[in-house]
Amino acid sequence: MSRPQGSPNRKLITQEGLNSWLDELAVTRSLIAPRLAAGVPLYQRVAGSNEIAWGISRTVLSVKQAFFPPNERLLTIRKNGQAIQLEETVPEEAQIVFGVRPCEARGVRLLDALFLDTPPADPYYASRRENTVLIGLACREMGPTCFCNSVGGAPNEAGDVDVMLYEVNDGYVLEDVTDKGRSLTVDLGLDVYDYDPHVYRYESHYEVVSPLTIKWPGLFEHEYWQKMSERCLSCRACAYVCPTCRCFAIRDESIGTGEFERLRCWDSCAGENYRLLAGGHKARPEKGDRLRNRMFCKFHFYAEQTGLGNISACTGCGRCIDVCPVGVDITEVLADLGRQP
Amino acid sequence: MTFEPKIIAFLCTWCSYTGADTAGIARIKSPANLRAIRVPCSGRVSPELVMRAFDQGADGVLVLGCHIGECHYDTGNHRAAKRLPILHALLTFAGLEPERFRLDWVSASEGERFSHIASKFTDEVRKLGPAHWKMEADRRVELEDAFARERENIPFPVTSCAAKTDAIRGKARELLESGQVGCVIGYEISPRGRTRPAFVVQAEDTDLLVWNPDCTHNLAVYLPARLRSKSPQKTSPAVALVAKPCDSRAINVQLAENLYRREKVHVIGVTCEGLRDVQGNMLSRCTTCQEAAPVVCDTLIGGDTSGFIPRVTSCCEEMIAELEGSSPAGRMEFWLSQFDRCTRCYACRQACPLCNCPTCLYERDDSTWVGLGIGLNEKRTFHLGRAYHLAGRCVDCDACERACPVNIPIGLLNRKLADEIEKSFGFRAGLAVAPSPIVTILSGEYKEE
Repeated sequence: MSRPQGSPNRKLITQEGLNSWLDELAVTRSLIAPRLAAGVPLYQRVAGSNEIAWGISRTVLSVKQAFFPPNERLLTIRKNGQAIQLEETVPEEAQIVFGVRPCEARGVRLLDALFLDTPPADPYYASRRENTVLIGLACREMGPTCFCNSVGGAPNEAGDVDVMLYEVNDGYVLEDVTDKGRSLTVDLGLDVYDYDPHVYRYESHYEVVSPLTIKWPGLFEHEYWQKMSERCLSCRACAYVCPTCRCFAIRDESIGTGEFERLRCWDSCAGENYRLLAGGHKARPEKGDRLRNRMFCKFHFYAEQTGLGNISACTGCGRCIDVCPVGVDITEVLADLGRQP
Repeated sequence: MTFEPKIIAFLCTWCSYTGADTAGIARIKSPANLRAIRVPCSGRVSPELVMRAFDQGADGVLVLGCHIGECHYDTGNHRAAKRLPILHALLTFAGLEPERFRLDWVSASEGERFSHIASKFTDEVRKLGPAHWKMEADRRVELEDAFARERENIPFPVTSCAAKTDAIRGKARELLESGQVGCVIGYEISPRGRTRPAFVVQAEDTDLLVWNPDCTHNLAVYLPARLRSKSPQKTSPAVALVAKPCDSRAINVQLAENLYRREKVHVIGVTCEGLRDVQGNMLSRCTTCQEAAPVVCDTLIGGDTSGFIPRVTSCCEEMIAELEGSSPAGRMEFWLSQFDRCTRCYACRQACPLCNCPTCLYERDDSTWVGLGIGLNEKRTFHLGRAYHLAGRCVDCDACERACPVNIPIGLLNRKLADEIEKSFGFRAGLAVAPSPIVTILSGEYKEE
C-alpha cells in the first residue's frame, strides 16, 4: 500500500481551502460529517463546514450508519383490492462522508465482503456504497482505547477511502486514492506536496495481543466465557457502535390506511431474544454464549464465512470499550485468551 | 373547512358507554369526532393504550369511567384515577398539550354530562389544531439553544477510601470462608484502570475488591437473574452485594416485588459521600441525594455520615423547572432532539435494577405496543413507556443515564415522575419494602414466599 515519497497524488490544502471545498460539495450532495449533537459527536448531515466538529478523535457511532442505517424502509406494500403492490425503496441520494477514520473505513471494507461480495448483493447497501464518497482523515495520535495497529490496521492507512487527508502544520495533505475521489479534487488546482505519511510513528497506549495468534476453535467450550460475561448487561451498545457489526431484523409493519412497510433495523447477538426460535427456544440463553459469539464473530467466524482469510473483523477502533457501561473490554479478552495454552 | 380532530374515547361499558347511549336516546347533540372504544372498565385503559392512540395519529384521547365509588368492579376506576394522571404528567412533560388527554367520570344516566364533556373536550382539541405527536419518518431535530445549558460542575472532594476497601474485603472474605454466600458482587479495577463490577467466588480473590468514588454501577441489577431459582428443587446460593444508599433502595423495591427472598442476599452497605463522573466532578445524581447511609443492609461499612451534606437543588431540578416553564412545542422539540440520538441499544434498560420483565413490552416480536423501527416515534414510545413503568419504582440511581452511550438525559423523565408520585401519594420508592402506589396488587397476588 505504501506509495513512493512525493507521490503526485499528494497535494497541500489549507483549512480555508478545505472548508470551501466541503461547502461547495454540500451544495449538490448530502454532506455527512462528525457533528456535535448536544455535545455528543455523531455522523450527521451538516449544512456546511461550519457545522463540522473539528478536532474530535472519533464519533460515538461509526460510519457504518451511512451505508447501513439503524432504520430503513425496504419496501412499501400496498393492498389494492385483491392485488398486492410492492414498491422498493432503493436510496439514490449522493452523499459525501467526511472525517472517516482509517479504522472505520476498514470496517466498511469488511462490510463490503458480506453485503456486496457474498451473493446475493444487498441492493440497498450497494446503492449507498455506489453513491457515497468517503473522505478519510488520518489520526493525529492513537486514542486511549484505540488498537488498530494490533489488528492489521494503521492510524494513517489510506486504502479504504476515496480521498485521504493528513493533518500537517500548514493545513492538510490531500491524497487521491480512487478515481471517484480524484474526480472531486481535480478541479481544486492544488500543488503537489512532498510528504510521506509513513514516516510518522504512532505510540500505542496499551499493549494488545494479536487475535491472529489465538487458537480460536479450541476455545469455544472453555469455561472462561461464563466467567468473563458475568458483568455483561446484555445491552447492545457494543454492537451498535461497532463499525463491523451488521446483524439486522426485518419486519412488516402497518403504516395505516392499508399500507405496510418492510423495515430493516439493527439487531444484535447481545440481546437475549436474538435468534429466538418458534416455540421459544433461545439459541444462546446465557450471557456467556452471547459474548462468546461476539468475540468469535469478530475474530473467527466472519472472516471465514466471507472468505476474507485469516484477518480480524475487529478494526480496533475501541468504541465498544468506551461505551460498555460495565467495563467489558475486548482487548482484555484477547489478553486472557492469549494466555491460554 | 375547519379542522375536525380525531378523538379516541375509551368508554366504560357499565357507565359512560351507556351514558353515550342515553345522550343519543335523549337526542342530546354530541360531537361526531369521537371514535368510541368500549372497554369493560376504565381500569382496563392501560397507559400503553393511550400512548398507542397518540402514536397512531389521534388528536385527543378521552377516558370516561364510572364515578368513584360506583365501579362495577369496586375499584377498577381507582386504578384509572391513580395511573392516568401520572401518564398525563408524563405526556405533558414530553410536549403534548395537556388539553389533549382527559380522564373524567360519567354515569349511565348522565347523558347530558357525557355530551357536555365530549363537546367541551372536542372544542378544546379543535382549537389546538392537529396533534404533531406522530413524526415523519426521517425528521431530525436540532437542539434548541434555549435548553442547551452547561452543567454545573462540582469538583469531587478528595476522599480516602482505604478503610472502606479494607472493610469490604474483610467482610467478603469472612462471608465466603464461612460459606454463607456463594458469590460477592462488588467493584474491582480493570486492567485498564477503570472501576467495574466484580464477582468474587473464592475467599483468596477478595483482595480484588475496592471502594472508590468511581463505584457508580448499581449492582442490584445483577440480583434478580442470579437469585431467581431456575427449578423449585434447585435453589441458588445466597449472594453478598456491595450496596450504596441508592442501590439499597433498589433492593427494597426488588424485595417488595418478590423477585427473591430477603435471606438470599447479604447486603454489605457502604455509606456514600457521592460519586464522581469521568471528568472528576460530582455526579449530578449525587448532588440531590438525600441518603448518606443504606436503607437496608446486613453489614454497614463506614458508619460515620456526619460529613454528608445533602443538597436540595441541582441542575436536574432546574432543568425540569425550565422545561415545565416552556411551551409544549418547546418541550417536544427538546425531547425529540434527545431521543433522536437513541439507537435502541437498551443499555438504559439493561443497566436498570428495576427493569426486570422477562420480555420487555417494547421488545415483543409482535409490534403490538411499539414497532421494531429505530425511528423517532418508536424511540420516544420506548423511553416514555419505560419511564412510566418505573413510576413509583425508580430510585433515581441514574444508572440508565450513565449507561447511555449518547448521553440522553433519561433521568429527567424518571425524576419528573418521582416528583409527581411524591406529590400525589407522599411516596418515595425504596425507602421501605413497599410496592409502587400506582400498581394495584390484588390480595392474592402479593404474598410472602
